[in-house]
Amino acid sequence: MPVLELREITKVFPGVIANERVSLELEKGEIVALLGENGAGKTTLMNVVYGLLSADGGEILMDGEPAKIKSPRQAIDHGIGMVHQHFMLVEPLTVTENIVLGREPGRLGVIDFKIARERVIEISQRYGLKIDPDARIEDLSVGMQQRVEILKALFQGARVLILDEPTAVLTPQEVRELFGVVRSLVDEGLSVVFITHKLEEVMAVADRIVVMRDGRVVGETRPEDTDEIGLARMMVGRDVVLRVEKPVSTCGDTVLEVSDLHADDERGLEAVKGVSFSVCGGEVVAVAGVSGNGQTELVDCIVGLRRPTGGTMHLKGKDITHASARSSIEAGVSHIPEDRHRRGLVLEFDLAENLILGDHRTPPYSTRGLLHPKAVTTMARKRIDDYDVRTPSEKVIASNLSGGNQQKLVVAREIGRDPELLVAAQPTRGLDVGAIEFVHRQILDERAEGKAVLLVSLELEEVLSLADRILVMYEGRIVREFTADEADEETLGYYMTGGGGVKLDDDARQAGPIESGGDA
Amino acid sequence: MSDSREGLPAQRRWMTVLQKVGTPLVSAALAVLVGSIIIWASGYDAGAAFAALFKGSLGGPKQIGDTILRAIPLIFTGLAVGYGFRAGLFNIGAEGQLFLGGLAAAWLGVVLAGLPWIIVVPIMIIASALAGAAWAFIPAILKARIGAHEVITTMMFTYIGRYLVSWLVIGPLKAPGQIPQTVAIPPEAQLPRIQELFSAGTLEALPFLQLGRAHLGIVVAVLMAVLVWVILKYTTLGYENRAVGFNPWASETAGISVQWTTVKALCISGALAGLAGSVEVMGVHHRLFDQFSSGFGFTGIAVALLAKNHPIGVIPAALLFGALSAGAGTMQFEADVPQKIILIIQALVIFFVAAEEIVLWFVRRRQKEAMSHAG
Amino acid sequence: MLGDIITPDLFASAFRMATPLALAAIGGTICERSGVVNIALEGIMLTGAFFGTAAVLATGSPWFGVLMAMVAGVVISAIHAFASVNLKADQVVSGTAINLLALGVTGFLMERWYGHPGTTDPIKTLGPILRLTAEGGGFLGEVWRWVNGIFLTHTPIVYITVLIAIFAQWAIYNTRWGLRLRAMGEHPRAVDTVGVNVYRGRWVAVLMSGALAGLAGANLTIEQVGSFTENMTNGRGFIALAANIFGRWTALGSYGASLLFGLADGLQIKLQILRDVIRIPPQFFLMLPYVLTVVVLAGVIGRAVAPAAVGEPYEKKG
Repeated sequence: MPVLELREITKVFPGVIANERVSLELEKGEIVALLGENGAGKTTLMNVVYGLLSADGGEILMDGEPAKIKSPRQAIDHGIGMVHQHFMLVEPLTVTENIVLGREPGRLGVIDFKIARERVIEISQRYGLKIDPDARIEDLSVGMQQRVEILKALFQGARVLILDEPTAVLTPQEVRELFGVVRSLVDEGLSVVFITHKLEEVMAVADRIVVMRDGRVVGETRPEDTDEIGLARMMVGRDVVLRVEKPVSTCGDTVLEVSDLHADDERGLEAVKGVSFSVCGGEVVAVAGVSGNGQTELVDCIVGLRRPTGGTMHLKGKDITHASARSSIEAGVSHIPEDRHRRGLVLEFDLAENLILGDHRTPPYSTRGLLHPKAVTTMARKRIDDYDVRTPSEKVIASNLSGGNQQKLVVAREIGRDPELLVAAQPTRGLDVGAIEFVHRQILDERAEGKAVLLVSLELEEVLSLADRILVMYEGRIVREFTADEADEETLGYYMTGGGGVKLDDDARQAGPIESGGDA
Repeated sequence: MSDSREGLPAQRRWMTVLQKVGTPLVSAALAVLVGSIIIWASGYDAGAAFAALFKGSLGGPKQIGDTILRAIPLIFTGLAVGYGFRAGLFNIGAEGQLFLGGLAAAWLGVVLAGLPWIIVVPIMIIASALAGAAWAFIPAILKARIGAHEVITTMMFTYIGRYLVSWLVIGPLKAPGQIPQTVAIPPEAQLPRIQELFSAGTLEALPFLQLGRAHLGIVVAVLMAVLVWVILKYTTLGYENRAVGFNPWASETAGISVQWTTVKALCISGALAGLAGSVEVMGVHHRLFDQFSSGFGFTGIAVALLAKNHPIGVIPAALLFGALSAGAGTMQFEADVPQKIILIIQALVIFFVAAEEIVLWFVRRRQKEAMSHAG
Repeated sequence: MLGDIITPDLFASAFRMATPLALAAIGGTICERSGVVNIALEGIMLTGAFFGTAAVLATGSPWFGVLMAMVAGVVISAIHAFASVNLKADQVVSGTAINLLALGVTGFLMERWYGHPGTTDPIKTLGPILRLTAEGGGFLGEVWRWVNGIFLTHTPIVYITVLIAIFAQWAIYNTRWGLRLRAMGEHPRAVDTVGVNVYRGRWVAVLMSGALAGLAGANLTIEQVGSFTENMTNGRGFIALAANIFGRWTALGSYGASLLFGLADGLQIKLQILRDVIRIPPQFFLMLPYVLTVVVLAGVIGRAVAPAAVGEPYEKKG
């Protein structure tokens, strides 16, 4: 009898059917991978199971009994735990406080922190998930935070564990560690649903693979019965080009020259510790690294959002070390920001207004402080056409666009400005295959036009397929530089985590040249 | 900007307009409805109260003039608060800036006595705007530099400003006599009443021009509303103001100085509030005293919210509150209902605009009806 | 001259003046820790002051008045809770509406019930609990005079407030309620996903702040002034908010900051008495608490971190 069974779950959002009659079974001690593109309905389905969303149809069974799950509380009571893609951890609180939250031991409403702490240690030892129970979440690495999330679910008595895109923020080494943890959980009798869009992970960890597309289950298979190309076809619904073809780079003049750059983060700790590199015209240079190793601060410095504490930066020979964001834009630096909702767009503005953001002070869009609506409209319509932004009009409010179209809008503005240097930070995060292909093509077009591109990405596949040179950043320093054909994922991952800090485990899986287009 | 490429269907565009205007209209209607329930539940004759309210605000040219008179400062304070909101700032202290604006006007009007009005009036108006801006400057700097919440700081500056004025009208600027007030400004420093612009014959022939105490400040106010609208829509200043209000991070990324924009926005807001003080001095009281504003700065919050921070929308919103306040006296006199009910209605308007969910429910229903009629 | 200013009396008045601020500030602490901004403290306090007074006028019982002040505070803060939590209104705007509403309702009812605006008739007040004589000579007598003067001359709510501050501080860091409160102001969804009802938690927090601010109003009228005057809170709600920030969103910190403001207020009153000697107009003394608030905010903000989710309505999915 399956421990968890979903029967014909349907969930409708205004205008979209997110889940259409989805059925799924999970046996005890089984790892089921739920595979699908962004927007395929995987997370929605699991939010229904966890009681965060209520289904419009269908039923959920636990151990063969119909289960009424209307809230996370009820899901927890049924033994369902979920590790969300965006961690549900309260940063200023301790590990123990986070784990016991909602089920605090104690009497008369007073928490017994001694017992709480003991239970946390007990569970962490039982499953081999080492953690400091007194550490504050904000001081932990992402991998450790994820561990707290898993412990939280175990503390709450989870028998079924849902992991939503758990590897998105991890290094290859951390990913392997996570797989080990998942295996041991299953050995202890838990059952796991593993949500992902990464094909090689599915092949490595799943007992069974359920593929979703457009809100429906489109296929079910086992790792031994398929390969990544087959899975990709099932997931996307057509053949996928897994590699971006690009001509050999012809390096022109040096565009960006960074030497011995130092910078602090928000807390005043040194985050960039003497970085030097250059980017020439017609070249894509990628910065690879685990999130939080100084990439964000480096990008902030180059685009003028952060004052360096030392070193220099030159753009085509011009000193931009102390340039503001405004003068950096005027000097010819374009920036596709990491967090596009926060930094890329004013979601309440219409598309035309968004397209002049940053250029609104310069002719032809304005002169002497007066805007010229005609010029703005003309430009906006052209950009919307050129960059294939799907919209009925340039007067549509940006928040009404899909995520992919919003990113196209940002790309249209930043590349349409015709910059000397394009700084692209995580330009494809969260996009679907079509939009990813589009963004990659635009970046390579810039390169072909002889522009300099600095790409910062956590996705190694993206780095490997776009870059001419790769800089590995670790703890604020560039620890290694590769040319595109020297590097592979394993070696990059090795240096990204401090080169030698983690032992390479080569038989874990083959790091093949074929990678999915799903998240490239 | 010209028409969209594909053009929204006429019906949908009409719906958008209805939604924009509909929500405030329903909010105001709900507020008046709840207000009359309160009047009725308190044992008063609600019908008589509203009849008196109507009579006192729209009953004749003089009453309409009274409504306009009270709407004038509210247009300025509504613009002030609304402009701040457009930058994501809540200038709750417009009242204090208004006091400083009034102070500047009252002082200069006396100091510059003897000069022709063409010189005096512009100087007074500009000076009162500067005074209002100055009073918002410290909160603005504190907000921009260290993030001190402008709601607390501008509120504190309101109290400080009121005590300052209270001291001046008792002390250094006190006119001779028993009453704590300043010397009256000379006629050439005053804004004339509208009816004074016409000859007795014209007024006889066109009685609707007998607008009582309504003064020329209404023209200044309307011009200012148009100016603010142009600034917001057609200048980079306004564009940056709106961008920062919606999303300071994206603005920063686009090279807009969030700090500088914040300072400018709060000071412009203060300047607009300062103007409210000067029109009250120049058009109504012709001098300064402790109680010369009846909370126009605070009512400005309700005006701005009801107008959804749209500068042109501020005009009808201010007229509505002007009418309520003009009619309140008559209501108290004839139906015995305390004038304070107006404050309650203001609060309800703010509440219903803020809690749009309630109101949207009504609007959507109306839309459905409209759709079924249209279809 | 200094001896005329630095007296037990000055510090006693600091405790007295701090009490309404501290009650409202602790209310603000609880409310903001849950993620709801409460600038309605001013209006809630005013409402409590009015209905407390009205209850005493109607029944002659000061304690019944205190109870009614708290009930009134809870009732009017329920509007804020409904708007902020359920309707997801802008919390600052909703707070502004409540401040105006309180001004309107108290003024309206004042005229309806008592037939005139301004100030009510005097009411029966709560006096000091202890009435010890400060006798005795020598050094010990002097010490006793100070201890008695500063700490032992107060009315009940002054002491209750100290207890509330200590208890709230303990509860926020040691109870289930406190842990969940702190968590939902930082990351409400995290709290929701472990099965704790964020809406209910925020409702309770807002109502608690209403009860505390109502009690602050009761202290003003039933213990300090002895009658109700329109708009008598005079910005105290806003100063209390500043005290909460200065106290870094903790109950004891709020109390400490309120003491500072209370001391400034006490000093201001003392100095007014000496105005013939130092010749500064009284208006400048009256400005002092407001100036101090701005100065304190200017000095502290950069280092105080508000709860991460404060002011953001929480929306459950689907």
